[in-house]
Amino acid sequence: MTARVALGVALLISLGSFAPLAINQAVSAETAALSPLDQLLATENAGVKAQAAPIVNDLAFLRRITVDLIGRIPTAAEIDEFMAWSSSERRTNAIDKLLADGRFADRWTVFYSDLLRLRTNAEGGQAFLAFVHKAVEANMPYDEMVRNLLIANGKANYTPEVGFILGDGADPMAMAGVTSQTFMGIRIACAQCHDHPFDVWTREDFYGLAAYFGKTRRFENDFTNTIYTTETDATTVLWPPEGVGKEADRKPMTPKFPFKLAEGSAEPEYIVRLKELRTAQEQRKLAAKDAKQNKVDDLLAEADKALEKITTPKPVDATGVLAENQSEVDKLKLAQGRYRNSEMRTDLAKLVTDPRNRYFAKNHVNRVWAELMGRGIVDPVDDFSQNNKPSHPKTLDYLADEFVAGGYDLKNIVRIIVTSQAYQREHLIKVDEATRTTIETAFLATTPRRMISEALYDSIVVGGRLFDVKHENGKNLTTAWRHQQVVKDKKSEEIATSNLASAVNVTKPAMAAKPAEAVPTSGAYSVEDAFELDFNAVLAKKDDAPEVEQMKMMSKEEIEAQAMAKQIGRPGVEYIDKYVKVIFDDNPRFTTALRMETPAPPTHFLRVFGQSTREALGEFRDHSPTMRQALLIMNGRLIHEASRVGELEPAYALLVGKKKNYESAVALAYRDLLTREATAQEIKEGIQLIEAGDTPLSGYADFRWVLLNCNEFRFIP
Amino acid sequence: MSCLDYKMTRRSMLGATGATLLGWQIRDLLANEGKSHAQTAEHVILFWNGGGMTHIDTWDPKPGRPTGGELKPIKTSVPGMEISEIFPELAKQMHHCSLIRSIAGTNGDHGRATYQLQTSYQASSNLQHPGLGSVVVHERNQLGDLPAYISISGQAPRAGYMGQKCEAYFVAEPGEQDPYLAFPSGIAEVRGNKRLEVLGKFNQRFTDVQKNSKLDATQTAINDAVKLMRSPALEAFDLNKVPTTTLNRYGDTSFGRGCILAKRLVETGVRFVQVNRGGFDTHTANFPAMEAHGSVMDPALASLVQDLAESGMLKKTMIIMLSEFGRTPVINKDAGRDHWASVFSCFMAGGGVKGGQVIGSSDEDGYQPKDRPVQVPDIHATVCHALGINPSKEVMTPLQRPMKLVDKGSFVTELFA
Repeated sequence: MTARVALGVALLISLGSFAPLAINQAVSAETAALSPLDQLLATENAGVKAQAAPIVNDLAFLRRITVDLIGRIPTAAEIDEFMAWSSSERRTNAIDKLLADGRFADRWTVFYSDLLRLRTNAEGGQAFLAFVHKAVEANMPYDEMVRNLLIANGKANYTPEVGFILGDGADPMAMAGVTSQTFMGIRIACAQCHDHPFDVWTREDFYGLAAYFGKTRRFENDFTNTIYTTETDATTVLWPPEGVGKEADRKPMTPKFPFKLAEGSAEPEYIVRLKELRTAQEQRKLAAKDAKQNKVDDLLAEADKALEKITTPKPVDATGVLAENQSEVDKLKLAQGRYRNSEMRTDLAKLVTDPRNRYFAKNHVNRVWAELMGRGIVDPVDDFSQNNKPSHPKTLDYLADEFVAGGYDLKNIVRIIVTSQAYQREHLIKVDEATRTTIETAFLATTPRRMISEALYDSIVVGGRLFDVKHENGKNLTTAWRHQQVVKDKKSEEIATSNLASAVNVTKPAMAAKPAEAVPTSGAYSVEDAFELDFNAVLAKKDDAPEVEQMKMMSKEEIEAQAMAKQIGRPGVEYIDKYVKVIFDDNPRFTTALRMETPAPPTHFLRVFGQSTREALGEFRDHSPTMRQALLIMNGRLIHEASRVGELEPAYALLVGKKKNYESAVALAYRDLLTREATAQEIKEGIQLIEAGDTPLSGYADFRWVLLNCNEFRFIP
Repeated sequence: MSCLDYKMTRRSMLGATGATLLGWQIRDLLANEGKSHAQTAEHVILFWNGGGMTHIDTWDPKPGRPTGGELKPIKTSVPGMEISEIFPELAKQMHHCSLIRSIAGTNGDHGRATYQLQTSYQASSNLQHPGLGSVVVHERNQLGDLPAYISISGQAPRAGYMGQKCEAYFVAEPGEQDPYLAFPSGIAEVRGNKRLEVLGKFNQRFTDVQKNSKLDATQTAINDAVKLMRSPALEAFDLNKVPTTTLNRYGDTSFGRGCILAKRLVETGVRFVQVNRGGFDTHTANFPAMEAHGSVMDPALASLVQDLAESGMLKKTMIIMLSEFGRTPVINKDAGRDHWASVFSCFMAGGGVKGGQVIGSSDEDGYQPKDRPVQVPDIHATVCHALGINPSKEVMTPLQRPMKLVDKGSFVTELFA
């Protein structure tokens, strides 16, 4: 945290009660007590004739900040801890604690996955996701992260960073659009085919930018089924564009960065501070040198050394020591030549992340701001242009300055935003849409945001106490019929079980009679399951040796045969359907949706609630409600299980037995699910619902089902 | 209908849906669509055969040629039109059906070819184009309570820039109950209804305080969901009451049930049904595999065409069967055929398509189109044309880039002669 921000926070705390302030009234004595961010906003809002919304109460703040920073609602224990802190330190304590929470990296990896259009099913996608997660976890400076992504060459899933360019097939034209829009918020992609219709960008600008990627190629090795990128000698980006003039006149395009860097000979203050910070960091790093990092450059340097050692002539007998060493040499040569970083893209990465490139810092802080505030200072966040100016330019400048000066530290910028009054304001109530827009655009009130799908999922899990087992063993024995496909053996008519239940490419003849009492097993609900990826395992270093061996040994036919053998549904084989009776203890536990392969399959909960495909550039999450969402959440297994009462959860004792206390049970549900105290009226209604059930347990389940489904649950307060 | 106007459309539909679910009347009631010409079809059933179905062993036999393979051609109800022996029943219905034998594909890779066959566009690295079904439901309104676009036994392509409202409703296995269309197991109707009632009250109270249109939309979605859950039209999904004789006639298979379901869905008003089926990537043992496919597909397709023709629905329902490419005329050493995109075929019936026609031809060995080559986007344009949709109409992507519904295709006029 910089000294300046610390001061801001200290001043903010000194306000103590977070009393509502009418800060739009020019610069008053009171304004001086606001954080620098709030002061700038107030100055820029001088012309707005509207009252600022009050600051949210402590519990609403806790819910908001917990969902935003770690992607789920707070637990009962966290609420108790929070309320036990003195009122003057609650909010800062909560912010400190959540920024240090392990789930912060999980939640903000989702932010970066959206930004970078990360797809684990794309080439090198899994390692790319693990890389991003590791970078957020280690608080890698954003400029460093982007440089790593822009310069890398290597093999899919071996060099994790290369997943970035492989996501767009390392195509220069696509990468030009991606680089400018993702990192600078400039939509230059239109200029690929024509000068930008509403902006200053020309086709030549576009081609100049694309030329940085011109020598990069994506290669596919059919023999080893690997994909990698490498630099070639010739560029594919030629000027003038195809179809303009004679083909023979087209010449290799020289890379040119079309965006202006901040001018002026004097070093801006934010750069002076950045340099100081980085010098200090360097010194600390030198002091603790032994912690080695597996940077691509380091690896290459090592490879050079090792290669020299091996190739240095030494006495060998004629029969085979050399051959033994040969595969080592092959391996190293492969890494050294093929996967060397791109020089042209290194130049580009320097320019993109240059502290004087104001677009870079501004676009990123604006995206973080929008993630937390529901609207960008420039909105849409990826459209910085003449026709779409920032609503609060000085505020944006301030955030960008602090981002650079703070060493491109995500947590630093998140802290500046969430400690501001702007973030902590209530939503507007009972106003017309026009007034609402004016006030929300001025950030004098916050806009209601629905939780992102991952946070909604995890909130249901945590609210319903489903991260842990909540039923006693054997209390939920359930009989179900599992649908299975088995291979029919024509000769003996014997049935060999095979694991083909979910295969699509299978010839499916007659279905065996389905037992009348068949109920769908959890397979039918798989769209609500989450599967955690082990990021460390994904990043675990893989050896190139087996691949080199394979290259020598396997013929194309063999590889094809191997691929065929993997395919399910062999032609000519007959399958029959079978229903197998299964008795199982229906005692579900759910895991986090933040660490799944991403994006989830199209019909999955996460996708239905707005996670985008991340295919197209500028594709945002869709937060609009749909019928499919309603069906999924009303009738799905997740909310059903979250509602159901287990003997092992605290509510049970309040509903059954001698110590039962319906009032406390209702109050508990409000705290567990909505992070607030219930009103007297709500307590009364809750008790009525418990009593209206066949049993108090089923009544309470109905009551919790309603709370889990209601708008108050899914919209951040 | 625009997908973005979902809410409004749903409301405007309320008055119309109660009376009947039969396509014609409701369409006449709601003449609110931007149709460019008189349409000949109201519904589409698209069969997607994933993996690249061999053209020679299905619609374009090459008897007596070294590439002809083990399967023999048979005569059909159309004099002079022959198809593979794997379709004996369908052969009797070919007077309702037409074939295109001269599709000139450009991609021999599953991913890229599938993308183009399903969207009409070449895959692009940073734009997701909508599939044909999404285009159709973007342009033509929903009829009745059921979703306008339903995909059976597999995923339909994405809606891309047409948005979530144009995504397909997904049925995993025909005949199996969708668990999301009823209250969870163990929650009785009365109890479920009570939950909904209380939820409505809670949401209303919250909305009264907040007064924000974002919140109204949530309740609209819930109301739509409940309406669907309670709709008599859901019966279309339930195949339990389908007579055994019918099931047997379609060949009691997953594909057969898929065809029965597709038929029931279009009869209930569903605009676009996609039936997915895989296993056509026959690099090895192509011939027994195709015989097996035939034994599954033939009774189902033949019965579907026959039933729709008899009920009159075939007139306004276009059936089309597509695959990403054909397969090599050369038979490889594993008695298989490999990927072949230069020429392949497609099967069509109904929806204004005149039966008994063969459009175009491939050369004597099935390597290249011989006459009347048909481009991939032409197929999409043909479907659009039948539905009264102008394939050249432009829609805006979220980045305000205008995109045509179909990538430069023109419809195959002869089909509608």
